[in-house]
Amino acid sequence: MRVLLVEDDQMIGAALQRGLAREGYAVDWVRDGPAADAAVAGEPYSVVVLDLGLPGRDGATVLASMRQRRCDTPVIIVTARDGRGDRIRGLDLGADDYVVKPFDLDELAARIRAVTRRHAGRSSPQIRHGSLTLDPAARTLTRDGAPVALTAREFELLHTLMRRPRAVYSRQALEERLYGWEDSVGSNAVEVHIHHLRRKLGAGVIENIRGQGYRLGQPA
Amino acid sequence: MRSLRSRLLLALLAALLFTGVAASAATYLQARAEIDRILDYQLRQQALALRDNHFRAGLDPDPAQDIVVQVWDRYGAQLYLSHRSRPLPRLRELGFADVTQDGERWRVYAVSVGSELIQVGQPLGIRQKMAADAALRLLLPVLAALPLFGALIWWILGRGLLPLRRLAASIAQRAPSSLSPLPVAGQPSETLPMVGALNDLLARLEVALRRQREFAADAAHELRTPLTAVRLQAQLLERANSAEERDEAISALHAGVERAAHLIDRLLLLARLEPEAMTQPFAPVDLAALAAQLAQDLDAAAAAKSIRLSERAAGPVVVTGDRPALHALLRNLMENAVHYTQAGGSVEVSVDTRDGHARVTVTDDGPGIPAAERERVLDRFYRCAGSPGQGSGLGLAIAEQAAALHGARLELGDPPGHRGLCVRVTFPPSRRGDAAPATPPGS
Repeated sequence: MRVLLVEDDQMIGAALQRGLAREGYAVDWVRDGPAADAAVAGEPYSVVVLDLGLPGRDGATVLASMRQRRCDTPVIIVTARDGRGDRIRGLDLGADDYVVKPFDLDELAARIRAVTRRHAGRSSPQIRHGSLTLDPAARTLTRDGAPVALTAREFELLHTLMRRPRAVYSRQALEERLYGWEDSVGSNAVEVHIHHLRRKLGAGVIENIRGQGYRLGQPA
Repeated sequence: MRSLRSRLLLALLAALLFTGVAASAATYLQARAEIDRILDYQLRQQALALRDNHFRAGLDPDPAQDIVVQVWDRYGAQLYLSHRSRPLPRLRELGFADVTQDGERWRVYAVSVGSELIQVGQPLGIRQKMAADAALRLLLPVLAALPLFGALIWWILGRGLLPLRRLAASIAQRAPSSLSPLPVAGQPSETLPMVGALNDLLARLEVALRRQREFAADAAHELRTPLTAVRLQAQLLERANSAEERDEAISALHAGVERAAHLIDRLLLLARLEPEAMTQPFAPVDLAALAAQLAQDLDAAAAAKSIRLSERAAGPVVVTGDRPALHALLRNLMENAVHYTQAGGSVEVSVDTRDGHARVTVTDDGPGIPAAERERVLDRFYRCAGSPGQGSGLGLAIAEQAAALHGARLELGDPPGHRGLCVRVTFPPSRRGDAAPATPPGS
């Protein structure tokens, strides 16, 4: 899953990027409002983590213009201001959630999961598909109750497909969802991960749609 | 005697008593003169009646008048004495005279009839008693009315002082946090200045309190940022699973703690520069020496960035001020210049005097500050967009506050001719020969 991190503070930004990457997210980090606008317009993020106190163009303005452009990517606001009015204003502008500084990494990760889950229209934290159960919080996959070992990228790829079981993703779309700006993507990286997933879960788990891309199929 | 009311009561009663006594004294004196005139006339009439009637009448005067009659012959023999027990000495001169006989003062009138001498006398005590009676008749009612007056005055004073009591009650009833001004309407002109002064004080208190509250809130919010960094870095440290990652996380954590400590130092410095916090009296400080010392302190930092840091002063420039505050002022300006100027740049500090004003000018050829932002950079916690590094946003606020403490003006401008920033602090003219340390404002 790709996360856009909008944070002007060098230390917090670096720590968040590293911490969220450890949680398996591909994190793109921008430091000001205009860069955030451009990033949101150009890339398919699963969630935006937005600091309100940005130099130049503040977070609230970025959020407002996102929602005005009918971009419904979930947004989690990060703010040092915890007054009731500040929180209400943030939520009313179209934020899906907020965390107040100083927050902790686990809390932010949990909120990201909750927000993406709700965004996909689910309330259960686990995603089930046939015999497969994927737990985004624990980052585990079980088949008929037995755990299946996956690499981080394999997990993210399957997670992406399982979030929207009927959607068809092109290879490029999957790359965009899996890799951040700083990740170097091999030309056939997505195919390699799909190959591994099929070997572990059965060839039918991911279907090829000719000329269009990939879709979730039935696990063996 | 604490109560205004009882003090006024006593003073008014004393004044009343004094007036009564003075009036009766005047009455006494006036009555004495009147009585003297009337009784002298009577004495004389008595004597003349004796003479004109050849002693046929008047030898036995009215006992109520306490008059004594004596008749002498030409050889000094006493022919007649109306009261045997009260002889009067024989007087040579005719007419009125005052004599003392057996310790009693007498008024005597003498007239001669052929070879006899008629003396008619009356003790003066009777006259004094009559005058005193008249005076007392005036004083007694005053004395009798004194308690009534007292009660009346007490009541009137109570009513008159009511606005004062009402004011005290309205102050007493206020919530401790309420700093709203007291109502001015309906105040008598006596309490009006007090209410005005009180409202003035409340207004100043309100400003000071609001500043403190804002400062505390701002400080708390600002501390959240480095704390967030520290917390995240600590969590990364927990999760590090290689020695390399751990080392990296530890150094990031140290940097985060360092940053929080730096911010706290700055906040404390700013708090100490509040006018209310100044405890030391101002003393003479040589700005040129201070700038030279700071240039030396910052030499290593400047050298690390290959910045030419120069300090220029023609001689000592002495101002009266708080040394730590002036140190903070110059240090922040110079540190800022070194911090924000790109490697290879130059920073110049000059200290001089123009028209009696001591001036410190710090000029750099760094990125400068856009004119639109120059006002705001003096605000606490304001940082320009895209500022490099982890500044607290307090450096210029500290400098400004330190300057304000000395009545000095801090201006941001363009350096002449080239890019960068020029910060100038202009001190008020020093009073020449003013050796006595001035008191800092607010103390």
